[in-house]
Amino acid sequence: MIRTFRELCHYLDVTIHVIKMAIMTIIEYPSNIAGWMISNPLQFIMGFAIIKFVVESFGQINGWTYGQLAFLYGLSVISHALSMIFFVQGWFMGYYVIEGEFDRYLTRPLSVLYQFFFTNINIFGVTDLIPGILVFIYGCVKCEIRVTPFFILQVVVMLIGATLIRGGIYILLGSTSFHTRSAVDFGQYTQEIMDKTTMYPISMYPESMQFILTYLIPVGWISFYPASGLLGIENNVINGGFVPFITLLVGIVVMMVAGLYFGAGLKKYESAGN
Amino acid sequence: MSKYFYVVRTQIIKSLTYEFNVYGNIIMQTIIMITSACFWKALYKDQGTVSGVDAESMLTYIIISSVLSVLLITNVERRIEASVEKGTVATDLMKPISLFGVYFAEDIGNMTALVFQNMLPILLIGTVLIKAPAMADVRDLPLFILSVAVSFLINWLIAALFGMIAFTAVNISALIQVKKHLLRLLSGSIIPVWFFPDRVAAVLKALPFVYIYQLPLSIYIGKGGRAEQIGQMKIQFIWLVILLVLFCFAQNRVTKKVMVQGG
Repeated sequence: MIRTFRELCHYLDVTIHVIKMAIMTIIEYPSNIAGWMISNPLQFIMGFAIIKFVVESFGQINGWTYGQLAFLYGLSVISHALSMIFFVQGWFMGYYVIEGEFDRYLTRPLSVLYQFFFTNINIFGVTDLIPGILVFIYGCVKCEIRVTPFFILQVVVMLIGATLIRGGIYILLGSTSFHTRSAVDFGQYTQEIMDKTTMYPISMYPESMQFILTYLIPVGWISFYPASGLLGIENNVINGGFVPFITLLVGIVVMMVAGLYFGAGLKKYESAGN
Repeated sequence: MSKYFYVVRTQIIKSLTYEFNVYGNIIMQTIIMITSACFWKALYKDQGTVSGVDAESMLTYIIISSVLSVLLITNVERRIEASVEKGTVATDLMKPISLFGVYFAEDIGNMTALVFQNMLPILLIGTVLIKAPAMADVRDLPLFILSVAVSFLINWLIAALFGMIAFTAVNISALIQVKKHLLRLLSGSIIPVWFFPDRVAAVLKALPFVYIYQLPLSIYIGKGGRAEQIGQMKIQFIWLVILLVLFCFAQNRVTKKVMVQGG
């Protein structure tokens, strides 16, 4: 018990130092800070504007009004931002495998997965978080949601779950590099697919695709099901206020599968130059 | 000229090295294309024509947009960033061929490999799974090819101009992202600009981005009359000239004062 506690404190201590270092490294290139400050909010403001334009041209999207879409979009962007802060490294795992960068992590007395994600913590993700929160608040106001402590609990729980699902998917995709030994960067594509499937109601897609997005690649649980649960919009899979908790459960399962797959991949890792 | 062809050839061979990348890219792009198609099908469910375009044309638009996006991949900005950061730009400059000529040749080589690796498979998959993306009027084919060629050049010049920022800023990965988002959303590659409010569309038509994707695609699906298309192609050509002048000017400036990290 005491040993586990000590170990946890040690991890926490390391994390604080690592965040300090992350802040120092980002100050190195001022143009980069400016770039991220513009790039990320810009992306989501434009994405949101596009939803507005589409709704104006076509009326509702599959029965979802503009306010409800803003609610969904906000939740999606917030979970995206959180996954960017903690799990963005999954996108670049291929480079680490090819360049033999895991050598460094393997020689240190800390969990490899922990080191991989936390020594490269991405403080810039905060620039995604702010537009997400703004759009979410806007959506809440438009949908006239009464903010109760239970509502806040639901939102927090589903955001943790959604972040875990996203992170798990990034790790799963990144870990394929151990087997294929290629540095292909799926980040851009994953992002594009996630955008299309989490920022719009997936009930607009054909049944077969809904099935895939619900049971095989659990992307639907990131925003669609919890958001419809919170807004009280009927769908034909699951309804009710308890859905956010199922999101958390799905997130934990995805993360565990991803962790196992990563571990299996790491055994095959043979550094660079072999 | 032959030395540039040599670079093109080397780059093609390089692109063929990693087999998995090819399959991975095809699978990912197919998923994106199919989601887009479903997205538009769902939007058009109860609507006949919106902004003068019907569902069938929109599906063609999406398939050809996916195909074009393969052709319009540039690597020059990352290439510049990497060579400035590592300092290899100094030795690159010493070689007896033009620096940007080499970058251009590399991108051409990449593109040539991608035509066979990605473009044709995606066109095939799109035809089988979504619909045959037939051209609205085959007589527009020369016009379409010409506009694609110009949009390739515009796209490359914008990328190269962005990349040149690396000569002073060194790390530009964030700026590359800015450019990517701007291009994706303002060029009409995902959502055509004609769905935007008039005022926004008017502003976008003054910028070079819509002439990269939307113009060739409009010609392909036959949106707007021939006179309108030719008028837009003139603007496209003007943008090409403006960017070319900017490029030559910037090229002379940056190569004169190369800053190498640690040197």
